[in-house]
Order: sequence, then structure tokens, then C-alpha cells
Amino acid sequence: MSFQVGSIDRTFRDELEMACNVDLDQCWECGKCTGGCTTAHNMDYTPRKIIQLIRIGAVKTLMSCNTPWVCVSCRLCVDRCPAGIDIPRIMDYLREKSLAIKDHGPGVDDIILFHKLLLEEVYKRGRVSETALALKFNMQTGQYFKDAGLGQKLLRKGKISPFSSKVRDLNKVRSFFKQEPDRREV
Amino acid sequence: MKGKARKALVVGGGMAGLEAALKIGQAGHEVILVEKEANLGGTALLLSSTFPKWQDPLEKLNLKLEQLKKLPAVEVYTNTEISSCTPNGSGYSLTLRNNLTGEETGVEAQAAVLATGFDYFDARKYGEYGYGTYPGVMISIEFEEMLREWKKGLKREKAPGAVAFIKCVGSRDRIKGYPYCSKICCMYTARQAGMFKELFPQASCYVFYMDYRAAGKDYEEFVRSVMEEKEVRYVRGRPAKVLPYGGKLMVRSEDTLMGVPIEVEVDLVVLAAAAVPKKETLELAKSFAAATNQHGFLEPVDGFTAKAGTRVFFAGGCGFPTDSAGAQQQGAAAAAEVIALFNQD
Repeated sequence: MSFQVGSIDRTFRDELEMACNVDLDQCWECGKCTGGCTTAHNMDYTPRKIIQLIRIGAVKTLMSCNTPWVCVSCRLCVDRCPAGIDIPRIMDYLREKSLAIKDHGPGVDDIILFHKLLLEEVYKRGRVSETALALKFNMQTGQYFKDAGLGQKLLRKGKISPFSSKVRDLNKVRSFFKQEPDRREV
Repeated sequence: MKGKARKALVVGGGMAGLEAALKIGQAGHEVILVEKEANLGGTALLLSSTFPKWQDPLEKLNLKLEQLKKLPAVEVYTNTEISSCTPNGSGYSLTLRNNLTGEETGVEAQAAVLATGFDYFDARKYGEYGYGTYPGVMISIEFEEMLREWKKGLKREKAPGAVAFIKCVGSRDRIKGYPYCSKICCMYTARQAGMFKELFPQASCYVFYMDYRAAGKDYEEFVRSVMEEKEVRYVRGRPAKVLPYGGKLMVRSEDTLMGVPIEVEVDLVVLAAAAVPKKETLELAKSFAAATNQHGFLEPVDGFTAKAGTRVFFAGGCGFPTDSAGAQQQGAAAAAEVIALFNQD
């Protein structure tokens, strides 16, 4: 596969740079972000490559790769980056943009489902109930008995509760959301 | 006043200052050469070898010192610093202070050459490399001392089995260091890695680089020979972390040519800390009204190459990091400008 570098459309990059407040020309391609990355070994494109993909305008690849969904936003890359590029912010941006896309690589669809379910929980109750989240996720991914044994143990020890609690001022939490989380079927 | 002998002050007795003092002296003028340390020689005294030729840096240094001895008009003050400097129209009125005896000497000079050299970036600012925390992490000038001992055949039993060199520590870093490339690290790192492999061919040796910059006569060939003949492994990537690993050190990086994260286990990590201006140089520049750039390196003015102010010139690392050949060239250039100035007085 070769990228058609001659026909770069800068629109995507310009919008991303503006939204994330970054200047990708400052990247030295040194790989310090990737060398320290906690999840790079699971990414199909490492953080350094993501920057380069944005620079060459490979939007299709960016939208379908698993990197933004594997990134855990631990911010080690920002701490290390000699150019101060806010990579997790870029990953956030890519997540937002690629959320609407259906065909992600294997494994990514589950991550996106989890992402949506978690946000839904936060929207509904202002906090995450592990029991409800795990149940919903396992049901929707067809893993009906996964975590059943562990769940019982945790229940007996009082580590998780079958009841979901709410925060006192739900509207305050909801004000963080621009709109209701996307509830479409994945 | 043409033909009248005049007096120049040279601050710093490294390769640049020595060359400047020699040339001004050989042109028939008086020179006061001030050196803070006990011996003349500067950084060259600390090095195990030169590049691009594998020579003992003391060879050239001793040649210069012998030439200097033949010039009675060059007065050498070691262990001495400038304690005050007042411009007086046609030059400077200065007070020199001997750091051992506290003795102060008043002198006059009609021109000054600042050749105070450079300092190293404080590598502790890179917490991720653990300099100052892990005993196996050192900066290159500290490793130089080990190389000199091994070369003499001392302490060889304690030699490490694997060494990783990390370049651009504090240079090419807009956040924790300086944006500039400190120019000399690529070459001295190649020299250190090559010498280490020459002394211990069985050991492993890795150089982590962003780019290797070998722009100079015979420089590219030198670095290639270190890769090809000494078999030093060059890895393209800037390490993200050094961590203790079962009594050894683990270097984490990306191999940016392969595009994958890698880990290397070593005994010793050598950081090529950026060359930075000395604090003293900034103070001197102020009292001599010499121009500096935003980082504190002396800066040429009025289209000159070595002139930083009305009667003040500079050479060597205080202008920008340079190898000893460059320091020598700049010393000669500064001397030429001083001599031309004296000739016009």
C-alpha cells in the first residue's frame, strides 16, 4: 500500500492542529513518545507514526487504525516529548472523529462499545457502576458467563454492589456533556 | 601609534585561548593569559582521544605549550579569574584575582579575547534517564575519565559488558532543554563508542541517535568506521526511559526505522549532555559589553567573525560548542582581529 503524498489535502491536519492546539511541524520524529508509551506494543501505528500519518494526510488510515482506541491517555508521551506536542489530545480528537465510522479493525469495535457504555453510565448516574457496566458489556459482546465467577467472589467480599448509586447533583455532571452520548447500536 | 607593542588579555587557556595568545604574542604584542584552573589546556586535558584521527590530544597541546614558553611577552596567570573589569576608552582596566592566594593584580589591556569554553547541561532535568539517581548513568565527560583509565590499562576488570550512548540530552529539546543542536556530541559520542569497542571488542555498544551529524572533513568517514570497523550498533530513536533492571539498566526506546518499541539491557548509560554557555561567561560578557545571543553564547557584531564588542573578541565554545580544531581556528581568527585592531590604533 502506498500513500499518495502528492495529493495531500491539508484541511484535516489544519482542523486538527487548531482543535488540539498543536504544531506538528515541530515534531522531530525522534520516537521518544513511542519508546515510553505504555500501550504502543498493541497499536497498529505507534504515536510517532500517527503524527506522520496526519502530516501526510492519510485520513482513511487514521480513521480505521486502532491506535486512538488503544491509547490510555496516560500522558507519558507529553512528559517526554521534546517538542511538547499534546499527543493524548490528538488521540481524543481522532476518537471523536472516528466514532461514527463502522469498520474498525478487529478488537476496536469492542473498545468503542465499552467507551460508549461507560459514557452512558456517567451520563445516567454521574458515576460508573462496575457491575452494570461489566454486565452490559459482556451481554452485548456475547460473553454471557465471562467474569461470572469473579463477580460472585467480589460480591461476597462487598467489593461490588448489585445496586447502582447516583451522584447528588446529576445535572452538574451532565453539564460536561455537549450532547447526550451516542446510543446507536455499534 | 603604528608599530607600537600593545597588550591583549586572553581569558581561558583552552585550545582557543592558547591559539589566540600564541598568535597575538608571535605578532609582537604583549599578552596576559588568564586561566581559572591550575593547568593550561581546558577541555582537551580531559579527553582520551581526538577525532577524526585517533590521536592523544596532549600531543598538540604540548606543542602549543612549548611554543608559548618561547614567548616571554605572554604572561600566564593560572588559578586566576577576572575580579573586575572597567572599560577605559582605549581598552580595559582589570583586576585579576588568584583563587589560591587571594592575591589581586591590576592590569591594563587594549583588547580582550574571551575563550572561556562551555559547560554541560544539567542532565538531572531529564528525570526519565535517572542521572544522579542510578550509579550506572553518567554524562559523557565523566565517561571520558573512565576511558582514559582503561586506556592506561587501569580498572579494566570493572569494565561494563554493554554500554548505551544517548544523544541529544538537553539539546534539540524545546521543553526541558535548548532548541539548538550542540554540534559536537555526534562526533565525540562516535569517538567514545569507537574507543570503548577498541578497548573491549567483546562488549556491546549501542548509540541512540535522532540524526547523526558528521559534517566536517573526514567526519562522515570517521563515524562510518566506528559503525563498520568497531561494530558499534547505531539505533535511530530517542530513548524514553532508563530503568533499573536486576542490577543492570534497561533502556526503552523506539527503533524509528523499524517503527517498533525496543528494550536494551546494558550496564552503563552515557548521556551526551548538551553543551551550554557557562554562567561566568555571561557575567564576563556583561562587564566587557560583549554581545550574546538568547542562550548566552557570545555573538559576533559588525560583520566580524570573532568580534563581540568594541575591543572584545571571542573564540571557542563560549561562542558556540565546537571541537578542538574549530576552537583552534577561532582562536587564530580572534588573534587576527586583535592584531588588525592594534595595527589601526
